[in-house]
Amino acid sequence: MSALDILLVILRIAFGAFVPLSFVAILVWMERRGAAFFQDRAGPNRCNVLGFRAGGLIQNAADGIKLAFKEDVIPGHIKHKFYFVLAPMLVFITALLCFAVIPFADVLILGDKHYIMQAVPMDIGILWFLAVVGFGVYGIILAGWSSHNKYGVLGGLRAAAQVISYEIPMGLALVSLLAVYGTVNLSEMAQFQGRLLFGFIPMWGFVLQPLGVIIFIVAAFAETNRTPFDLAEGESEIVAGYHVEYSSMKFALFFMGEYVAMFVSSALIVTLYFGSYQIPWFNTETLVTYARPVVIAIMLGLPVIGYFFGEWMKRNNRSHYYRENDPRQKETTVYIALLWSLVAILEIVLLIYLVFAHGGVADRILVALLQIGTFLFKTFLMCFVYVWVRWTLPRFRYDQLQKIGWEKLLPLALLNIFITSAIIVSFG
Amino acid sequence: MITTYLFFGFALLAVLGALGLIIFKHPMNGAMSFVMTLISMAGLYALLSAKLIFAIQLIVYAGAIMSLILFIIMFLNIQEKDLPLDPNRWFYLAGGIIVVAPIAGLLIKISKSLPATEVTVFEDGFGGVKEVGQLLFSQWLLPFEIVSILLLVALVGAVVLAGKREVN
Repeated sequence: MSALDILLVILRIAFGAFVPLSFVAILVWMERRGAAFFQDRAGPNRCNVLGFRAGGLIQNAADGIKLAFKEDVIPGHIKHKFYFVLAPMLVFITALLCFAVIPFADVLILGDKHYIMQAVPMDIGILWFLAVVGFGVYGIILAGWSSHNKYGVLGGLRAAAQVISYEIPMGLALVSLLAVYGTVNLSEMAQFQGRLLFGFIPMWGFVLQPLGVIIFIVAAFAETNRTPFDLAEGESEIVAGYHVEYSSMKFALFFMGEYVAMFVSSALIVTLYFGSYQIPWFNTETLVTYARPVVIAIMLGLPVIGYFFGEWMKRNNRSHYYRENDPRQKETTVYIALLWSLVAILEIVLLIYLVFAHGGVADRILVALLQIGTFLFKTFLMCFVYVWVRWTLPRFRYDQLQKIGWEKLLPLALLNIFITSAIIVSFG
Repeated sequence: MITTYLFFGFALLAVLGALGLIIFKHPMNGAMSFVMTLISMAGLYALLSAKLIFAIQLIVYAGAIMSLILFIIMFLNIQEKDLPLDPNRWFYLAGGIIVVAPIAGLLIKISKSLPATEVTVFEDGFGGVKEVGQLLFSQWLLPFEIVSILLLVALVGAVVLAGKREVN
């Protein structure tokens, strides 16, 4: 292995491990701000470091410090301490491992070498996801069972039954999708979605599988135990469900595990149905060919976006009543300075690229970076859909949940398989 | 070679898990050690470059079936005191060992008669999803389809039976 190989292995694994973790912070922030937005209130706006609140992101640091320094209690009535400690780890690790097979950019071609841009370049793709998601159930079952608490057991039972039931419609929705793509490899699926249908519609999964995408998204919501399917932690009935006995970092692992699972399933939905890293109408080869015009367009676009973002911050980040020397406006000035220096740095980097480095390897790396950005942006939007649904819909009743899964989604998924295969055989 | 060490690691874990399954008294401990065995088996399949079998082992056995068993253990809340007393177990154990001993002798003879040659893994693509699929859908199409329809009927039947009670 050359130095470049080792570097890329490290980079890809670092991406696969640290991006979901960073997204935990972003998602917790998005959840709070989103909740505040939907409920017409302010959200976290007090925590600050030297007056800088970063739009509420500092609240996460406060929460993290609180959880890390809290006393780690294992209640005395718990007999199986090993499973009690193992459960949160399982939930968190399985959520993180699912991301390992999701591609975040097209195959990177450097010279004569091809690098598959996944944390673990495995070609079983979606099967790995299904396998690892199955292990997440163990964490929930063990947590509920080892808590030795009625609420815990009830929550664990609900969560486990729900995850097991919704794996079936999810798997069946995937079957018809696999028939369309003709592969289980997520990288190949992503490449497939770079093509155009009838020459002008991007061939994304949701265009080809309009019914499948709905089934899959509903099942994915249920798999991640998110509202409207979060009966496992229905506060009004069973307190906090399977993590009622947990405190400190063990609780934090459940909490982070939920957000990592949300990020990973958003990433998977994007990969399967919303074109993965593909920028619509610009597949990898087009981007590489027209790298210079694209870069010039980005250089022109960046200041415009920066200007509007800065104006938006100026409008919103101020006190809503009269204050002398408004500290929030000072904060905004610093943010805008930071924003413009970021824009300036990006412009300089792009200019250096244009003048000195364009062509060959640099184009490939630039395109890969663009695709990573696109992938993360799409995933971010999909995560917002999770937050959006959570604060819009009320929680279902448990029998309703099982009924939707077995009596609505399952027949629909089977129907979808028949229709899809008929279309593929007759027109494909 | 790293694969050799991995093989010994997985084999050891698989045997330990199987021992745990029969030695542990608490059903949850037994089930969890069996999960360990199943995962180690998946690792062994992966070492043999049977990627599809590796994934299926994890999805079906270690994932779905064992989580159902854990679910039932949790649902019935089986504790050690619920298990039947078994005063004659040492007697049964001794009898079992005597009955099984010839089979063990057979197994030892088989493993000794294996040629001591270096075994190489098949060429690229062996055991992959596409290769197994092609084999399955060309040579074994009819049995595969019959089993699929059987499973589908079972699935639909379960849903119909579960839904019927709601109507009354």
